[in-house]
Amino acid sequence: MTTIVALSIQAILVLILSPLSIGLVRWFKARLQGRRGAPPWLVYTALLTTLKKQNVMSESASWIFRFVPFVVLGMAVFLVISLPLLFLNGGLPQIDLFVLAGVLSLGSVFLVLGGLDAATAFGGMGASREMTIAALIEPVALVAFSAFAVVAGSSSVQDIFGNGMSIFSHPALVLSFAALILVALAENARYPVDNPATHLELTMVHEAMVLEYSGPYLALLEYASSIKLTVFLVLLGNLVWVKPSVSLDFGTVGLAVAGVLLTLIVGSAALALLESSIAKMRFFRLQEYMSVAFFLALSGFILVFLL
Amino acid sequence: MPSSISYLLFASIVLTVVSGVAALSGRAMIFHKLSQTFLALSGLVGMVASAAVLLSPETGLNFSIASAKFSPVFGLDLFGAIFFLLVSFVSVLCAIYAVPYLRSYKTTYHLPGLNALSAAFVLGMQIVIVSTGPLAFMIGWEVMSLASFFLVVSDRSMESVRAALLYLVMTHLGAAAILAAFLLLAQGSFFSDFSSLAGLAQTAPAWILPISFGLFLFGFGSKAGLVPFHVWLPEAHPAAPSHVSALMSGVMLKIAVYGFLRVTLFILPPIGTTASLVILGFGLLTAFYGVLYAVLDRDFKRTLAFSSIENIGLIFTMIGISFFAASRGLEALFINVLSAAVFFTIAHALFKSGLFLVSGVVVRAFHSRSLEKMGGIAKRLPVFSAFFCVLALAAASLPPFGPFFGEWMFLQSILEHFSLHDPFVNTVLLTTFALTALVGGLAIFAMVKLFAISSLAEPRSPHGSDSLDCPSLWEMIPIGVFAISVLLLGLFAPVILALMRGETAIPSPWLLSVGSSAIHPSVILLLLSACVLAVWVLRRLVSRVEHERMYHRWDCGAPVNASMEYTATAFSAPIRFFFRLILRTKKIVSVEPVLATNPWIVSKRFNMNLRSIWMDFAYLPLGRFFVGLSLQVKKIQNGNIRFYLFLIFAALILTLRIAL
Repeated sequence: MTTIVALSIQAILVLILSPLSIGLVRWFKARLQGRRGAPPWLVYTALLTTLKKQNVMSESASWIFRFVPFVVLGMAVFLVISLPLLFLNGGLPQIDLFVLAGVLSLGSVFLVLGGLDAATAFGGMGASREMTIAALIEPVALVAFSAFAVVAGSSSVQDIFGNGMSIFSHPALVLSFAALILVALAENARYPVDNPATHLELTMVHEAMVLEYSGPYLALLEYASSIKLTVFLVLLGNLVWVKPSVSLDFGTVGLAVAGVLLTLIVGSAALALLESSIAKMRFFRLQEYMSVAFFLALSGFILVFLL
Repeated sequence: MPSSISYLLFASIVLTVVSGVAALSGRAMIFHKLSQTFLALSGLVGMVASAAVLLSPETGLNFSIASAKFSPVFGLDLFGAIFFLLVSFVSVLCAIYAVPYLRSYKTTYHLPGLNALSAAFVLGMQIVIVSTGPLAFMIGWEVMSLASFFLVVSDRSMESVRAALLYLVMTHLGAAAILAAFLLLAQGSFFSDFSSLAGLAQTAPAWILPISFGLFLFGFGSKAGLVPFHVWLPEAHPAAPSHVSALMSGVMLKIAVYGFLRVTLFILPPIGTTASLVILGFGLLTAFYGVLYAVLDRDFKRTLAFSSIENIGLIFTMIGISFFAASRGLEALFINVLSAAVFFTIAHALFKSGLFLVSGVVVRAFHSRSLEKMGGIAKRLPVFSAFFCVLALAAASLPPFGPFFGEWMFLQSILEHFSLHDPFVNTVLLTTFALTALVGGLAIFAMVKLFAISSLAEPRSPHGSDSLDCPSLWEMIPIGVFAISVLLLGLFAPVILALMRGETAIPSPWLLSVGSSAIHPSVILLLLSACVLAVWVLRRLVSRVEHERMYHRWDCGAPVNASMEYTATAFSAPIRFFFRLILRTKKIVSVEPVLATNPWIVSKRFNMNLRSIWMDFAYLPLGRFFVGLSLQVKKIQNGNIRFYLFLIFAALILTLRIAL
């Protein structure tokens, strides 16, 4: 019972906070670039406005096009209600790293299908690129997760991310942690893989796929990507500092909420700093990024055995 | 009880023969229908019989010509029953599908011949599985191979004949290797059955075992499509009619897996570490090579064929790991990975047969196998495309479908055994794990390309623009059954695994466990659908559904048409670029000026060849070598009768010298 209540608190909190992470990244980025920047909560207004707008459907689109936003957001919600984000041991124990990787891929696959279904060259281009990134980042994610699983002695996501294990208590995991950061950047379409703030055909990946979506569907997709970013930030944060264990008294919940908020602020600041200090990679140089990530994950795995 | 099962099994085989006879009775449509009905009946009876064996595994049954002199020729044990069930299930659905499907091709194919050969093909596979000795096994094997050879040429085009001849050569080299291996093992007593052969193998001289293992690996591997013996597969499978492609890719490859497992598990003594690493190496190479070409290919059915190569590679990888585990004394890993291999084999039979049946409908609708001409199926045939989508997602090993749980068992069992302090085992496991993960990622790409390019957006050729040839109800039903069965396979994976292992008591029907870790396939399915449903409901609550209008796609102010859409070539371009060192594709862009005066107005032609490095660097040089050699041999055929007499005499002397 406690678990279910804890999971509900977690789901509500993360679902409410997730647009904030996007807003924070934008705000920090603006500050770093010497602009005043829009307030972080502007994202909420933008999402609500998009939700109210008219839905314009492409005449070429089929049922897949309508189905995609629900699946993509559904997969994001799945992550929120099953992973241990808020509390120690606060996730569903049935979810293991292969299911996690599979669900992430399922979300990417449907996004790709939606991009192609609109029958524009932009959508196809974004879809092709996104599929390449997703296909090549999945093995990196699996190998990096597995190193954590070996250290945790279990493949359950609960034991990996929700067991108080951190890179300070297990320094051997530092390379795997680095690989996981690369995975997170690629999965969330951030620098140097994708530029989330552009509509130039030479650079965009995620934006190209959702170009044909409008109104409520666009809101669902944008919301889904903000949830994914939040989940990844919190998961990575969990590997750096320790959360309180499941308990429903006021203080613990407050502590957990404060922890998540702190994670989001620090994570967005770090992301903004990264995005302001490096350039986006040319798409056809991404093979170097993927290779580096793959061998980083492999070396991280080997390091686990050596230490 | 066992005797009634054996009657059923016998009836199933007889019905297959009857189906062939019915097909040959005449050209009228009624005989076509009759033949497929008998084939479907045979499959249904076969399903009942093998299910009965599976449910009561202690009744490993023997039947037929059991007299004092001969040991039983045919029999069915638990292991055989799994594969017999698979053959029966797929052939029932293919027979149902063939009734309307072949009717639309009655001018292209010679229906009586085609149906009789299909029946013979199924018969061959049935005989291979129920045979308990090398002789019957080889007869069934040859019936299967020859029937499928004639099925490949059935549209009598030049392309098919070339594909079929290549197939004939490869399959007979393979069959010869298997026969040679059996003969070596039998050491003279060819009428022995598998169990006595196993006894002989225990006491065989040390040099026989590695040689016969190598011959078996080549023989079964060439049938299964292991790289580098795979060259025939992407040519032959697409050339056959689609329901036969489904049988070939979905089941015939499984018969090769069955044969290999039958030999290595039941006949040969435990193979050592080296041999298992050889299997593993072939498996990983096959999986990686197959998936790359599945990503790149632009032909609907060839993509499926390459994907089959990839899946066979994964199955052999699993088999390799399980034997490796056995040779290192890791009993749990051996059992779990072997179960994963057989489970994945079942899953592959289901989704690949389904996808080949889909290909029949799609190819008929567009009058072409080329993905570059397809598109728009999802808008025009929504239900069909939903089944197609499910099958493609299953083939990509995504949750919550059956194949995902096969891969899950495999990767999970590897993960469980990492902690052992043996650097050698860890290295092998880690390499396998990383490569399998890479192949898995690329497999998603291949299947998304197949589904998205053929089904989404606007049709890329005029054929599909107004209306597509709708599949008839009896074509839809088998495809739907395959789509639902991959979902059920995932949902009931724990029960199926328990049945496969011959466990009568199922500990918990919803819990899939490997070692200390476990997942609930049903919970995952439930959670995934609940999340999607919740989002759907919430969207209806917070925004108005009818606030919507249809408009043409965004075109930057200038009209866009279907030729501007992404094609299969364009979609897979990044992978082609990233792996260009391995793939060595040949791209030719020729530019011709349209006006001599203006250098800017030119017409460009683009041509891209996907080359096969095995063809270019192995088979063609080998072929040239043999042609050259035979030209040299031809020199002794100089037409002089006295020289021929001398040759005969010399041969006689030589024979006598060797024999005496």
